[in-house]
Amino acid sequence: MDVSQYLDIFIDETSEHLQDLSDCIMVLEKEPDNKDTINEIFRAAHSLKGMAGTMGFKRMQRLTHDMENVFQEVRSDKLAINSQMIDVLFQCLDAIESYLENVKASSTEGNQDNEAIIQALNALLEGRPVEATNSEIVKQDSEEADKTEYVFRALEHEFSDTELDSLKKEVEKGQKLFGFTVYINPNCLLKSARAFLVFRAIEEYGDIIVYNPSSQEIEDENFDLVFNFIASSSEKQALLVKVARNVSEIDEVLCEQVDYEEISGRTIDDERISITEDNVQTNNTAVAVKEQQKNSTVKGQTNAKPVTNRTVRVDIEKLDTLMNQVSELIIAKNSLVSISGQEGQGNQNQSFHEQIEYLERITTSLHESVMKARMVPIESVVNKFPRMIRDLSKKLDKKMELYMSGEETELDRTVVDQIGDPLQHLLRNSADHGLESAEVRKKAGKPEVGSIFLNAYQEGNNVVIEVRDDGNGIDTDSVKAKAIERGIVSEEQAESLTKQEIIDFLFLPSFSMAKTVSDVSGRGVGLDVVKSNIEALGGDVEVSSTLHEGSKFTVRLPLTLAIIQALMVEIENEKYAIALASIQNIEDIAVEDIKYVQAKEVIIIRGIVIPLIRLDKVLDIERSADFAERSEENLTVVIVRKGENYAGLVVDRLMGQQEIVIKSIGNYINNNKIISGATILGDGEVALILDANTLI
Amino acid sequence: MEVRTVDINTITTTNDSKQYIVVKIGSEQYGIDISFVDNIVRLQKITRVPKAQKYFKGIINLRGEVVPVMSLRLKMCLDNDEFSDKSRIIILRVDQRGLLGIMVDEVKEVVTLNTTQVDKYNPDSKDEQSTFIKGVGKHDDQLISLLDIFSIVDDHEVE
Repeated sequence: MDVSQYLDIFIDETSEHLQDLSDCIMVLEKEPDNKDTINEIFRAAHSLKGMAGTMGFKRMQRLTHDMENVFQEVRSDKLAINSQMIDVLFQCLDAIESYLENVKASSTEGNQDNEAIIQALNALLEGRPVEATNSEIVKQDSEEADKTEYVFRALEHEFSDTELDSLKKEVEKGQKLFGFTVYINPNCLLKSARAFLVFRAIEEYGDIIVYNPSSQEIEDENFDLVFNFIASSSEKQALLVKVARNVSEIDEVLCEQVDYEEISGRTIDDERISITEDNVQTNNTAVAVKEQQKNSTVKGQTNAKPVTNRTVRVDIEKLDTLMNQVSELIIAKNSLVSISGQEGQGNQNQSFHEQIEYLERITTSLHESVMKARMVPIESVVNKFPRMIRDLSKKLDKKMELYMSGEETELDRTVVDQIGDPLQHLLRNSADHGLESAEVRKKAGKPEVGSIFLNAYQEGNNVVIEVRDDGNGIDTDSVKAKAIERGIVSEEQAESLTKQEIIDFLFLPSFSMAKTVSDVSGRGVGLDVVKSNIEALGGDVEVSSTLHEGSKFTVRLPLTLAIIQALMVEIENEKYAIALASIQNIEDIAVEDIKYVQAKEVIIIRGIVIPLIRLDKVLDIERSADFAERSEENLTVVIVRKGENYAGLVVDRLMGQQEIVIKSIGNYINNNKIISGATILGDGEVALILDANTLI
Repeated sequence: MEVRTVDINTITTTNDSKQYIVVKIGSEQYGIDISFVDNIVRLQKITRVPKAQKYFKGIINLRGEVVPVMSLRLKMCLDNDEFSDKSRIIILRVDQRGLLGIMVDEVKEVVTLNTTQVDKYNPDSKDEQSTFIKGVGKHDDQLISLLDIFSIVDDHEVE
């Protein structure tokens, strides 16, 4: 059966199952007795195995099969969950993930057998302690496994008739038959060359009749560190062993003289039978297991699993196209609105106005629906974090716990795809720099286990993601010292800096506060990259911190990228749009209410001092000759807000609120980011969009 | 807004010749390689972009697309543009960088220049205009300075 057409589905579903497994194992680590979770894990592992099997990924199937066996034991209370088991299970997941990566890249599962993990799983099954369950297990596997015991395996081979024939002939010639099992040193680079040297040494005294693996496979290095062969010779066993051992990088040569009868009669050999019985048994249990699973799946589906959403996977490009078309429609609608808004059209246009309003409602809701179709929960990004924190906790040897909320918060797909790295960086930063070690925390009277919080929520047209820790906070004095040391500010300048200004130094390129460079963080390529990544998405990031109590990084992202609600303002005769989301309120300020702080204009509104920004000055707008004469007593001030900071933008006239389609002004013009884009108004004129964030 | 599109397909070309749109800027004639030209439009309202390079006049709405418009006169350090009803904006499409409009005083004609009709132009480092010219074409006893589109698009300004 050609299964390649199912590859995409396989990849999607496998990643989902892996995520489920990871989540469940995390739960299991905390609540080892949670039966529901164990069942869930069992189901996921089983589906994984089934899918891998269907797709013909044998290695993956084998690994998941053994994993499933462990869960089977756990489920039937024969095995207890311990941290060692959790570690091994996570290694399994990593291994499966790497299979999946291979599948994604090349449609094959690759050739990593992950023997060590399988052995570790089997050890768990048998209740043996697992050796080398550290993350290094994969690297150590072959060595560990082979060093422990050398087994004579020359006869574990299905002899073909021709092989039996030639063996028989040798025996009839009066030659003795010797079985060999040769172990090559794991560090050996040219295994087949070593094997070849062994063969040549033996062939000086006899003939090699049967190769296992086949001579072709040995030539292609298509074998592990062990190979077997059966040779015929008239020499003594000891001599043969000696010449074979003389070959360098050979760890062990096991040799036994064998009888032809023993070989040919192996099918009825006792040992063989027991082996087959074993197989049968495992098969039986496998069948039983499968049946149980079926039951449990059915049961599970009826009581635990929520009904799956009826969904269609849509290529993001199709949605982009749809979005563009909606944008065009909104521009067309805006121009109709602008025509209908013109005075002096007479009464016969009553119904025309009504239809325009109707059209406006429809386009707005159409836009909303398309936007919603592009929205995905941030869950897909953040749900890998608990695992990451767990690993970090072990790596850094600090106790920590991640609390997440608002995983269901939705963001535009393009934003979600790119927010993962910056968030991951912030979390690592909190874990590494923010949280103190258990001893320090104890001394400071804090709970030994540090807490990291990841909260996401929607706020107006923005989505806010907070990464907070209850660690030591940012030591502004040492940041200040570092800034002076780096020559970013002079000592005098540093004295007059506010705490917030000092903290903002952390976002400068290559400004790392880590005293030692670790592979977790501290190379100084951190926060500035985080900041630029987030700004590239049209968002911003802020830090607040209290020494000894912790720090909080607030990431603010726009909900939508293409169409926003904006306030249109006019200065002289130029029109500008300001995103409604950044506007706090609009004030009418009497000129005499303007105060001065450090020679800068400010206004005081409800106790808050807000700097005034004269947009005509900032935007180099030429005033008409009579401007000075018609200076008015009141100013229209648009108060914009960025986090905790405010600014008052002085404009000439407000034109009203409008839905605008953001267009890029291209990359020819460079203008200090004050202008974040342009939009086309109803009358075909182009208006610029002011990025209020850059003005604050 | 009236749009005059030059249909490239109706004009035949031979292998060793290129077609140029001949435009007038000030008193001189310039040739623009037709393969870069997307469109020629009449002058329309240009929205000024604050803090932009001074040779950028601003942006226009080209059938729903926002296109920046550059003044060749300012780029070449000539007097500022004078607008007349002969003024046109030539919309260029250069590689992946998107559309760019350049303002010219007048569009005269389309000429086909054979390679033999084009002389290499040796830039005179003292002459700031010459940086943007890659050759001089001769057509009906007239000289046409052939513009090097890439150096115009590049973000450097003649001092």
